[in-house]
Amino acid sequence: MSQDKIKIDKVLLDKVRKYADMSGYSSVEEFVTHLLEKEIAKIEEADSEEEIKKKLKGLGYIG
Amino acid sequence: MNRRDFIKAGAGAAGLLALGPRADAVMRTTGRKATSRKILILGFDGMDPKMTSRWMSEGKLPAFKRLAAQGGFSPLGTSIPPQSPVAWSNFIAGTNPGGHGIYDFINRDPKTYIPTASFSSTEGSTKTIRVGNIVFPLKSGTVRNLRQGKAFWQVLEEHDVPATVFKIPANYPPVASRQRTFSGMGTPDILGTYGTLNYYTTETKYVNEDIGGATVHQVYVIGNRVDAKLPGPKNSFKPDRPDTEIDFKVFVDPTNAVAKISIQDQEFILREKEWSGWKRVSFPLIPTQSVGGICMFYLKEAHPQFKLYVSPINVDPGRPALPVSTPASYGEDLEKKFGPFYTKGLPADTSALDNDILDEEEFLQQDGFVLEESRAMLDYELDRFDAGLLFYYISSTDQRQHMFWRLLDEKHPAYDPALAKAFGGTIESTYRQADEILDRALSRIDKDTIVLVMSDHGFNPYYRSFNVNTWLRANGYLKLQNEFKEEDLDLAFAGTNWMKTRAYGIGLNGLYINEKGRESDGIVATGPDKDNLVREIARKLEEFRDPKTGEKVLARAYVARDVYTGPYVDAAPDIILGFNRGYRISFKSPLGRVPKDILEDNKAKWSGDHMGAAEIMPGIVLANRPVAAERPALYDLTATIMDVFDIDKPKEMIGSSIFKKGDPR
Repeated sequence: MSQDKIKIDKVLLDKVRKYADMSGYSSVEEFVTHLLEKEIAKIEEADSEEEIKKKLKGLGYIG
Repeated sequence: MNRRDFIKAGAGAAGLLALGPRADAVMRTTGRKATSRKILILGFDGMDPKMTSRWMSEGKLPAFKRLAAQGGFSPLGTSIPPQSPVAWSNFIAGTNPGGHGIYDFINRDPKTYIPTASFSSTEGSTKTIRVGNIVFPLKSGTVRNLRQGKAFWQVLEEHDVPATVFKIPANYPPVASRQRTFSGMGTPDILGTYGTLNYYTTETKYVNEDIGGATVHQVYVIGNRVDAKLPGPKNSFKPDRPDTEIDFKVFVDPTNAVAKISIQDQEFILREKEWSGWKRVSFPLIPTQSVGGICMFYLKEAHPQFKLYVSPINVDPGRPALPVSTPASYGEDLEKKFGPFYTKGLPADTSALDNDILDEEEFLQQDGFVLEESRAMLDYELDRFDAGLLFYYISSTDQRQHMFWRLLDEKHPAYDPALAKAFGGTIESTYRQADEILDRALSRIDKDTIVLVMSDHGFNPYYRSFNVNTWLRANGYLKLQNEFKEEDLDLAFAGTNWMKTRAYGIGLNGLYINEKGRESDGIVATGPDKDNLVREIARKLEEFRDPKTGEKVLARAYVARDVYTGPYVDAAPDIILGFNRGYRISFKSPLGRVPKDILEDNKAKWSGDHMGAAEIMPGIVLANRPVAAERPALYDLTATIMDVFDIDKPKEMIGSSIFKKGDPR
């Protein structure tokens, strides 16, 4: 696994630590990785959502 | 490229590609000897009992009147909700939606909250190999019909009773059968959409994104020539699945209102206001492969502006790239006899009328072609109908009520007196056309043939739009990330704060609880928490009144567990919105938008609808035998079919025959 580092504002990092712990994640890395994966999945799905909408609009019932 | 190759490749049309039922090698049921009984069922989508009754009593529907006098006429209990895919599935499976799993045109993926089509799913080929710049599939993609339960024609087949079922909705892809079936509502165009027209114009044209279904191309006439492109399906042979397209040219006569269209190896001339008839087009994928379809051209205007309409590209029934019939040869045989014909599920181009691309007269010409094709093919089927069941479906009754209600009803927000003068009688004349079709059919059958005429639901005006997610937000059930920002983005639930949202609406009648363990970010616990919340929201919805009219917006908010039975109840929305007369879900809500206002006037041309409570939206049934049932419903007609052929009703079917035991069949 690559070990590239990224910079996070200290105030935000404190929050991340706090919520990672509260949510039961075993580490900050695990929490951040999970959040990023979720957000990326949403972006990746945006295209297919557009395709789905395009497909459905021809029904006439929806906008 | 033939259909099998196209499907195997997983190419094109949004990856819709799958091995559909193919039974050419198997003989059709041999039941012709097993039964001499015959039942003809004509399905007129959306025919309303009140209007039918009124025009029957005024003598405008003589064949309907004759049939009613011979046997009976009754309102027909519809599905909850009264949407065509749901209602026809009730009839197909002989159950309520709990038995077939279709609850709405639109479902959603609880893991992403993204809307999906409810009646079929498509998965492209997952295993591919890339050679140079070409991706070859190693395994077929699949397209699945999501309706559960056995179709009545499959049951008939098991008992050697032959059946022909033409364009019944919610049968795409057609379920495996040796019976002759052709798919109906739900069948896509070759782009994989439910209809995307192309419109080429020199005018700067505003496309109403709220309606969609259209691609507008700005073109220029340079040296009397227009260079244009016709968009095709995605090319799954290429790594990034680019869109395919065909270049074509239009030569506009500088003095006369005439143009010559040159596309691939075809050239044809159209006068202004002339339709081309069906033209075959073929989209190249890789050097050895292409995918074909059929479309119509209409030269709306040659001068001073250039305006050319091209219909959605339908699957070619003669060389189908997607599974549209069983056996596959059935569609091909019809095409040999009649030439190309409409295969897209709902062929009337309502998007063209909604977007002001076709006007009322032009729309009626276009839907007139649909009706003409249907009539010709019905005659053909009637002439060779010698045993078993023949079901035949007509869509125009539904589509024209959607589009022309505004012109027979002065109270409608989109009423236009000038247009009403010309087109206010369209719905009545469409009912009369239905009567002509029935009259023609009655003249072609023998006296022993049982005749049923049915519709799936009735109709009512669509005056006011309800934004269910806005109502949920106003009542504290749906929260946005930023409560100070009105959320009217085009993405489903963009900006929704799921960690604080307890309920959301998706589809035309569906409302879901954001349930822990079911939805990915669910917060409401299964059990009493959810049950209490469902009851609370249903009660509030039924109490909610339109501040403008004082009327209740919903006649019923059905709790799924109270109204559905069967193995697929868990897939249902938690609450089903049963609108009051005149109300419907807004155009924006079904895909998850949260506009500013809870209620809005409906000023669209799409002005009649049928999303009401089932109790106020029945369809019709007429028969040439006495109808004994007091309150027949759609699934009772399925039981009636079983009764006619002396087949023990399968245990999943919940209805009862509408005929009296012992009456002659």
